[in-house]
Amino acid sequence: MRLVRAEIQKLMTTRLWWVMLLVLFLYMALQIGVTIGFAGQVGAQGQPVIPARGTVPFQEVVWSMGAGGALFPMILGIVMMTAEYRYQTITGTFLATPRRERVVAAKLGAGVLVGLAFGLAVLVLEGAAVVVATLAAGEDVAVNAKIARIAVGVLAVLALYTLFGIGLGALVRNQLGAIVGGVIWVLLVESLVNAIPALQPVGKWTPAGAAAAVTNSEVDLGVGTEFLLPAWAGAGVLLGYGVLFALVASVTTVRRDIT
Amino acid sequence: MIHVIVVIIAAMTAIEIRNLTKSFGPVRAVDDVSFTVAAGTITGYLGPNGAGKTTTLRTLLGLVTPDSGRALVNGQPYAGLAHPLSEVGAVLEATNFHPGRSARDHLRVLCTAAGLAHRRADEALDTVGLTDVAAKRVHGFSLGMRQRLALAGALIGKPKVYILDEPANGLDPAGIQWLRGFMRHLAHEQGAAVLVSSHVLAEVEQTVDQVVIIARGRLVRQGSLDELVTNGDAAIRVRTGKPAELAAALERAGGRVERADGLLRVRGLDAEAVGQVALSERIVLTEVAQERSDLQQVFLELTEGES
Repeated sequence: MRLVRAEIQKLMTTRLWWVMLLVLFLYMALQIGVTIGFAGQVGAQGQPVIPARGTVPFQEVVWSMGAGGALFPMILGIVMMTAEYRYQTITGTFLATPRRERVVAAKLGAGVLVGLAFGLAVLVLEGAAVVVATLAAGEDVAVNAKIARIAVGVLAVLALYTLFGIGLGALVRNQLGAIVGGVIWVLLVESLVNAIPALQPVGKWTPAGAAAAVTNSEVDLGVGTEFLLPAWAGAGVLLGYGVLFALVASVTTVRRDIT
Repeated sequence: MIHVIVVIIAAMTAIEIRNLTKSFGPVRAVDDVSFTVAAGTITGYLGPNGAGKTTTLRTLLGLVTPDSGRALVNGQPYAGLAHPLSEVGAVLEATNFHPGRSARDHLRVLCTAAGLAHRRADEALDTVGLTDVAAKRVHGFSLGMRQRLALAGALIGKPKVYILDEPANGLDPAGIQWLRGFMRHLAHEQGAAVLVSSHVLAEVEQTVDQVVIIARGRLVRQGSLDELVTNGDAAIRVRTGKPAELAAALERAGGRVERADGLLRVRGLDAEAVGQVALSERIVLTEVAQERSDLQQVFLELTEGES
């Protein structure tokens, strides 16, 4: 437990965490702003792509958007691991804790807590947006079981993507390589795989597909939602990636000589 | 009785390197090296750059896995120590800090991980003279300040074993002077075992009790500093007005004497015995000196062609 505290302390004593939180906020504000702006507008097929402002499906869509910010906790997770190699602080870390797998476990533990904290911050932002947009449209703010599930899903996705980042960072160790690889994967590969119907059977097993399952609003925003795994399975798949990467790293890269 | 003594000696061996071998690819960095460091002594681990010093020390600290042999601290591999920072203090190269973290926070993170009170961070900063810059980010630190911070990190757990890899690097003359005094304080007053590596003999010459010399991964000499400079065959240089009488008297006392115009070089007797002989023969000595090889010269000869 003291090792988890040490990892949190490492994160809080540099500027990265609040820079990343700020970027996440700006990104989410932009995304939500665009969604509110285009809500109810009729698309090419004559159907509104985003449900009309203030409706319950609209509120559900906004609540579910937090999962899209998972990129930033992922980067944070990557940096939590790779900064140790970049600045060679891994030497001091392993001197204090020579059982290296404990260091990886502590980082995963700290990553869950940090991811949850980021998730809470995102939920606050979403809540404010939902309340303002819904009241402005003269509708009632909805609170139902589905929204509760979506909110828990957002927390889970951000926490699990942090784990994914830590696991990825432990495997790759090169900070720039891990971040570039991770971002390209999330922004390009996953979006494509989940958007192309023929690839969706594969896509649902990717982290993004799993995350979409966890926060599934069942509102079709163009790529469909029927292909997704059940929410619990999505969470399991996401958790699996982070833990699997970390386990593989613990018996390979993390064991290497520190010279 | 003998058994008790053996146990005490074993307990005093703080560091033990036994038949240690480690290769990196085709390069045999450390080749069958063995030595020990006892509590209360400072051992200089000397050799040219690339001789295998750092690899040995990193193996001792569990950062590098040896191909064969053992590297033990307090009788255990480093990874087996329950509270490593309270048993071993290490200073490795000066670059291992996050540039965006303050000196105090760097030490506090170590305190948290080691289960030590956070006040130890400030106490250690005070010991190494960094209190004024405790809240500053390491980014702006000079090499000497980083070296002091690294030393503070070694001190937070108040260990009894210190492993210092080229700790004088980047220190100014005053800093080196301070470091020497500090190492002596740790070993001779606190009873700690200090293993300090250097490629510059002059840095440690006035400080160490024992030396271990390594070149190309192989141990070439170990022993006390005195044994090294006298090379096991000490001559005593004696000058007197009556060289013939004194030479005869010294030979009767069991010495081997070499004569060279008014100067005698005596082997097989120590300086005190030479003085006693001179006193009983009532011969005035104008000079008595232990001949020493120049340490730097010995070091160069031992490691010659190896670097």
